[in-house]
Amino acid sequence: MKKLYSYMMLLGVMSLLSSCGPDATLDVLGMFSPQGETVNTRFAQSQTYNEQAGVTHIDMQSDDYMIYVCTDSHVTPDAHKLLDYFMAQYRAAASPKMALHLGDLIDAQNNFGCVDSILHYPGQTLHDTLFVTLGNHDIYFKQWSQYRDYFKTSAYWFDTRNGSRKLDLFICLDSAEGTLGTSQTKWLENLLKEKSQEGYRHIILFTHTHLWKLDASQGHTSNLALEETYKFTDMLSKYGVEFVWSGHQHARQSLVFKGVNYLVLDSSKDEEKGQSYMTAQMGNSIIYHYYPYNL
Amino acid sequence: MALMCSLTALAVKRPGFGERKYTITGMVEYGYNTTWGHHGNFDVQALMPINKHFEMEAKCQLSTANVYTGYVQLRPKFELPVGELFIETDVMYRAIKRNRMGDFTAALGVGYRMDYVSVTLGMFCRVFDNWDRSWYSNETYVVEPFNLLYRVEVFCRPQTNPWNLSFCVSNVDDRQMERQWQPIFGIGAYYDPAEHWRVLLDVQCKPTGMFHLDATFYSATVRAGFSYRF
Repeated sequence: MKKLYSYMMLLGVMSLLSSCGPDATLDVLGMFSPQGETVNTRFAQSQTYNEQAGVTHIDMQSDDYMIYVCTDSHVTPDAHKLLDYFMAQYRAAASPKMALHLGDLIDAQNNFGCVDSILHYPGQTLHDTLFVTLGNHDIYFKQWSQYRDYFKTSAYWFDTRNGSRKLDLFICLDSAEGTLGTSQTKWLENLLKEKSQEGYRHIILFTHTHLWKLDASQGHTSNLALEETYKFTDMLSKYGVEFVWSGHQHARQSLVFKGVNYLVLDSSKDEEKGQSYMTAQMGNSIIYHYYPYNL
Repeated sequence: MALMCSLTALAVKRPGFGERKYTITGMVEYGYNTTWGHHGNFDVQALMPINKHFEMEAKCQLSTANVYTGYVQLRPKFELPVGELFIETDVMYRAIKRNRMGDFTAALGVGYRMDYVSVTLGMFCRVFDNWDRSWYSNETYVVEPFNLLYRVEVFCRPQTNPWNLSFCVSNVDDRQMERQWQPIFGIGAYYDPAEHWRVLLDVQCKPTGMFHLDATFYSATVRAGFSYRF
C-alpha cells in the first residue's frame, strides 16, 4: 500500500513537472481550473475585434472554388513538415481558393510566430483567404493573448461571393475548452436565425472540438457536455447548417445526424503516421477528398 | 469442530451492509448549466430487493428543461468475507423533448464496496436518435459503442450508519451517463431520523474541458428529498 502510494505521488509530481519549463507540452494544471481567459471572455474580446475590423466577404469571382482544410499541426520550431507541405499544396493550387486550419496550431509555448510564418506569405493579407480556429493546445500556458496578437479573433464569420451574389457562409466557433459558453451560443443562434434567411448555398461551421465519441481513436480527448451536444445538434439542424468541420481527435470520422454532416479530420502533426488534409470543391454541391501526407 | 463452529459464528456476526428494504424516494432538484440555464427537476426512485442476492431499482426524472429520464438498474450482489461484490446492469433512456431527440444508454459494471468506499467499473454503449428522422433518408442512429463507466465513492462513516457524508467521482448518475472524459463530482449526505425514514441531500458539479486540460465550470445541481423504507 505504501509502495502504491509512493508511485502515485511520483506520477503526480512527474505530471506537474511535465507542465513546467518552456518545452512542456501539456498544461496539466489546466485539468483543475482555467489557466487563462475562459470562453466567454475570449468571445467578448473576439467580438470587439470583429466589430472594429468588419466582416470579410471574399469575392471568388466564380461560383466554384476550392477549400484546403487541415487541423492539429502542433507546430514547434523542429516539427512543422506536414504543415509546410499543406501550405505548399495550397499555394500551388489554382485560384479561386481558400484555406482553413481547425485549431491546435502549436505545441508547447511561444510557437505562434513559427506557425504564423508558415501560414502567411508575402502578398497575402491576414484573413484574406486563410482562416484559423482556436484549439485547446493554443490556450495552454495562458497563451490566448499571444494567439490574439497573431490571429486576432477566435469566433467570427465570413462569406464567399461571386460579385455581389452571396455563395457560402462560414462560421468559426471557439470550442477550445470543450464548451461554447453562454455568449457564443446566443451569438451563434442569432447569427444562424438571421443568415439562414439570406439565401446562402451552403452554411459551414468549423471549430476545433468534435462532437461524437464513436470509437477509441480519440484517446483522452473529450467532447462537449451531453446537454450542449443535444442543443448544438438541434440548432444546426434547425437553421440548415450543412457541414461541421472539426479536428481534435487526430482521426478521421464522418457521420450525418439530423441532416447535418459532421466531418472530423486527421491531424497534420509531424510525428503521427497516416495523417491527411482535406479539400472541398465548393459548387452547388460540396465534394470533399482526403489527401494523405506521403512524406 | 468446535473451532470451525466458532469461526463460522464469528463470520455470521461480522458486520455487513444489512438487509435492504423496499424503498421509495422522492427528491426535488435545482440545476444550472450553461446550456439550459436554471431548471428544476423532480425525481422518483423505487428500490425493490427481490432477495438477498438481487435487487432492482427504477428511477425517473422530470425536468422543467423539458427532458425526461427513465432508468432501470438490476443488481446481483454477493456478500464476501470482506465487503460486497455487485454487478450492475443499467438501462437509461433520456427523452430530450426540447431538442426532439433521444439518448439511450445500456451499461454493465462490476462493483465492490466496503464500509467506507464503493468502486464501480464497467462500460456502456450509447445511441442518439433523432425523433424527426425520415424513414426515407439514409440517416441512421449515432452509436457510441464504448464508453468507460467509473464511480468511486468514499464515505466518512460505515455505509450502514444512520447518517453519512460521502464524496463521489463518477461519469454516471441517476440522470446521465456522460462520456468517460467528463467526470461529475458530488458530495452526498443522508440522515435517518426514524426507522423508516431517510433524509437525503446531494450536490454535484460537472466541469467541462478537464481532459482538454482547459477545465471550466459547466453545471451544478442541488438535490434534496426523502426515502421511506417499508
